[in-house]
Order: sequence, then structure tokens, then C-alpha cells
Amino acid sequence: MHSARTLKWIGLILLCVIALIFFSLATGPAGKGWGMNHEWFWLRFPRVLAALAAGFALGIGGATQQGLFRNPLADPGLTGVFGGSLLGIATLLAINDSWVWEHSWSLPASAFAGAMLTSLVLVLLNHKNSTNRLILVGLGLNAFTAAGTLIIATRFSASRDILISGMTGDWLGMATLELIFLPTILCGIASLLLLTQARSLDKLSLGEEMAQSLGVNLYSTRYASILLTALAAAAATCLVGQVAFIGLLAPHFARALVGPRHALVMPLSGLLGGGLLLLADTLGRSMWPQAPLSAAAMTAVIGAPAFVWIASRQND
Amino acid sequence: MTERLLHCSELSLQRGNQPILDAVNLSLHAGEGVALVGANGAGKTSLLKCFIGLFPDACGEIILGDFDPRSTSPQTLSSHYAYAPQSPHSAWDYTVEELSSLSPSSEQYFRWLERFALTPKLNRKLSTLSGGERKATHLCLSLSALQNPREKVLLLDEPTASLDICRTEILSAVLRELTQQGAAILVATHDLTFAQQCQRTVILKAGRVVADGPAATTLSPEIIRDVWGFASTSA
Repeated sequence: MHSARTLKWIGLILLCVIALIFFSLATGPAGKGWGMNHEWFWLRFPRVLAALAAGFALGIGGATQQGLFRNPLADPGLTGVFGGSLLGIATLLAINDSWVWEHSWSLPASAFAGAMLTSLVLVLLNHKNSTNRLILVGLGLNAFTAAGTLIIATRFSASRDILISGMTGDWLGMATLELIFLPTILCGIASLLLLTQARSLDKLSLGEEMAQSLGVNLYSTRYASILLTALAAAAATCLVGQVAFIGLLAPHFARALVGPRHALVMPLSGLLGGGLLLLADTLGRSMWPQAPLSAAAMTAVIGAPAFVWIASRQND
Repeated sequence: MTERLLHCSELSLQRGNQPILDAVNLSLHAGEGVALVGANGAGKTSLLKCFIGLFPDACGEIILGDFDPRSTSPQTLSSHYAYAPQSPHSAWDYTVEELSSLSPSSEQYFRWLERFALTPKLNRKLSTLSGGERKATHLCLSLSALQNPREKVLLLDEPTASLDICRTEILSAVLRELTQQGAAILVATHDLTFAQQCQRTVILKAGRVVADGPAATTLSPEIIRDVWGFASTSA
């Protein structure tokens, strides 16, 4: 049974996110208002939906990675999985960019391949499950994937702008219903399937030996979590580009509010992640309408100090 | 003859070129409590982990209940045993009460908490408990996985480490009761006084069983000198 306090927090955050959705839909470059010719629907709704879906998937993905690695600093952005997604997209664009735009499914597919590859490297190199190693391997993977994406962006001028804006997490501005349809569905599927891992991740928090003695299949839990987190990160990348810290912060806030059980932490992380990304995007485009800031830049403003604070409290 | 619940024969394990376990033979029957002793690095923890299937590359025969743990799904196997690791820890700061959500039987978990005098600590976070209280709380979680102890196996790795004398006594009494109810218990320990309370003591040296029998015969001064490298005054 969940306590009244827990339900109160979930209800309150849900209300805040709903209010934020209306605020964001009613906020345009010219200030408040629903806009002409259903502007709120054709221009802002896809952007709001994309931010919510990506943030939700990142929140749940972050909670899953933290549970899987038993490490509060794990996050698809910091561990290089986002970078892998973007490098996957960049590689496919370099091979044949005109074919990519004719086959919209190929973007999420290439992002997933890149995210999956990075996740597997992360697991192989971090087999001892140490915080230091996780962060260092993540740092290396981030640098490698960023360099790869940058090289492709500069060598292939046709995809340069799109890749640079992806690296700065600025793809929400391009959102249309057609473009976001498949990645949004994939975010939803990955998030729902990740929720099924909640009980195993709870038991995994006691260590692998205890988890196995309590009936957890370590192999299937590990690989299902990696595969689904990669799918969530890949789909989110297709919607936003690279955006760090959402997957790091949302689970922290969620655990502070409702305790460590993943059955509560994961959905609440999703809700908080969606809300945080939507808030960052709304502020970024409304505070300076002439030169809007990307959602990634806004989340970094909040996320970077929070990361330093969390890291400084971490024992290894 | 009571039913054999735990068995290994010619069990060997290597890590790199280093032999960890070398042709170990061991059997436990229902109602039997066995202490597994040996110097640091003798292979006690590795042997326990082989029994729960954590080393699928171990060679030789291993049977827990009716199953080979290397090829049985953890879900099937988990209903036949409970395990308490040497250094239990939790990645997240659960309260003692919240930990019940991880137990197969929260009712049993609360019953064990009461037995170990931990009920007053229900609302405390694990991080605010002493090392001994935390260890006892995790022991309660492990014990709760047994539910009905009859024909179940209990594997404990250093259960008395950091427990005070009172909780060590409670644990001794609990283990006696569980064996009377038909469980088979294998306890890896450095506490030779605690080991002497078990029906049998198995001594490991460099991955090999060097003695197996009642403590009165196995913990002789000669064996103690051979295994630990010093002369015993107490055994």
C-alpha cells in the first residue's frame, strides 16, 4: 500500500505538469495567447508532446540505469548512450542522407543501433560496477561519440546543420506531428516495458547475489533494461537531440519524494522528466523569443550544479 | 535416512589460472547444520556462491534440492533456499519497513524483525542503523525467504560478523529451531565458537576439504595449526 503522502506528491506533480502543458501551449514568441489559425495545435502541440514524451522516457531510462548500475550518477546522457544515438543517426546520414529522409523509421533505427552499441561497451568496460569507472567510461564514450558526430558533421556538409543542432539538443523546434509520431510511440513503448523491470531493479539494489537468491534472473533483467533504456534514449534523441541531466535529476527528485521503490520512482521520474524538459523548453523559447535557448542548454543550467552536488555527496 | 538437500561432488572452480575450489565433496541432509570454516581466501564464499548458481562455469556435480543451480532458473531455485551474503548492502536508503517490499513474505520478515528486536527501528533508514543492526535487518530479509523451512536450504556467509552477543545468541537459537523443523543449514564463518554449535564442521584449506565431521574431531590443535598456522589454546 502506498502512503497518503506518496499519493499526495504524485497527484501534486501530475497537476503541475498538466498546468505546465496548458502554459506551454498558450505561450508563443509574441507572449501569451493561443495564436492565429490554431497555432497552439499545429506549431506548439507537437513540440509540447515531443518534450513530454522524451522527458518521460529519459526520466524512466535514468531511473533504470541508476537501478541497474546501483549508482545514483548513472544517466543516459552522462554514460554516453545519448552520444551513441546521435552518432548512429550521423553515420546513417553520412551513408545516404536522401534515403534517410524518405524513410522516417530509419532515424530511430540508427539511433537505437548506436545507443545499443554504446550501452554494451559501457557494460563490458564497467563489469566491476564502480562509480568512478562508470563515470570515466561514460566520459570516454561521450568524447568518442561527440568526436565521431562532429567529424561526420564537418565532412558531410549536407547534414552539418542538423547534426550540430542535434548535439546542442535543439531539435524540439523542428517538431511536427509527422516527424514526432514514431519516436513518440517508441518512447511510450520503451517506458511502459521498462516499468515491468521495477520489481527486479528493487531486488537488484541489494546486490547481485541477494537479487538472484530472491529469484531475479540477472541476465534477462540486465539485458532487458539495457535494451529498453537504449530504445528510450534513441527515441528521445530523435525528438530532442542530446540533452543531459534529465535522466540524472528526475530519479533523484522522485526518490526524495516517494522513497526508493522503483514501482513508484520510475513513473514519477517519467512525470518529473517530462515536466522538467517541457519547462526547460518553454522557458528557453519564451524568455528570449528573438534568440531562443535550446532545451538542453536550459536543463544544463539547472542540471550541472545539481550533478556537482550529487557527485560531491557520493562515496566510492 | 533424512533427505539429502545439498550436495556437491568433485566441485572445482578456477579464476584465471588460480584454483579457487579443488574437488570439493560435501553433502547436507534435512535437519543438519554445518559450519564451513577456513582461513581467508580458503574458498568458503565461493563454495556458497556455487550452490546458488552464481558460478555457471564451476565443474563437477552440484545439487540443491533436486536441481542443478547452474541450469535452473533463479525463480525456480529461489523457492528452495535462502541466502545471506557476507556484506549485505543496499544501493538506496530504504527504511527497515520499506525493505519488506523486497521480501517474498513481508509477514515473515516482520516476524523475524520482532525476533531480532528490530521492530522499534521500523521507521529508521538503513543508513542510520549501526553496522550490527543493518546486518541483522538483512538477515531477517534472508530468513523471510525461507517461509516454510522444511526441506529448504539456508546458506549464510559470516552471519555473526558485527552482531552483538545478544543477537548472536538469537541467531544460534533460530538456526537450531530451523534445523529441527527440517531445514539444512550451511554457515561460512570465522567464529569457531559459533561453529562448534553446529552438528558438523567442514574445514577448507586452499579450496580443498581437509576435515569434515563433528567439531570435537575436526577442530583439533593439529588441524588448526595446519589450516591457520598457529597453535590453538581453546579448541
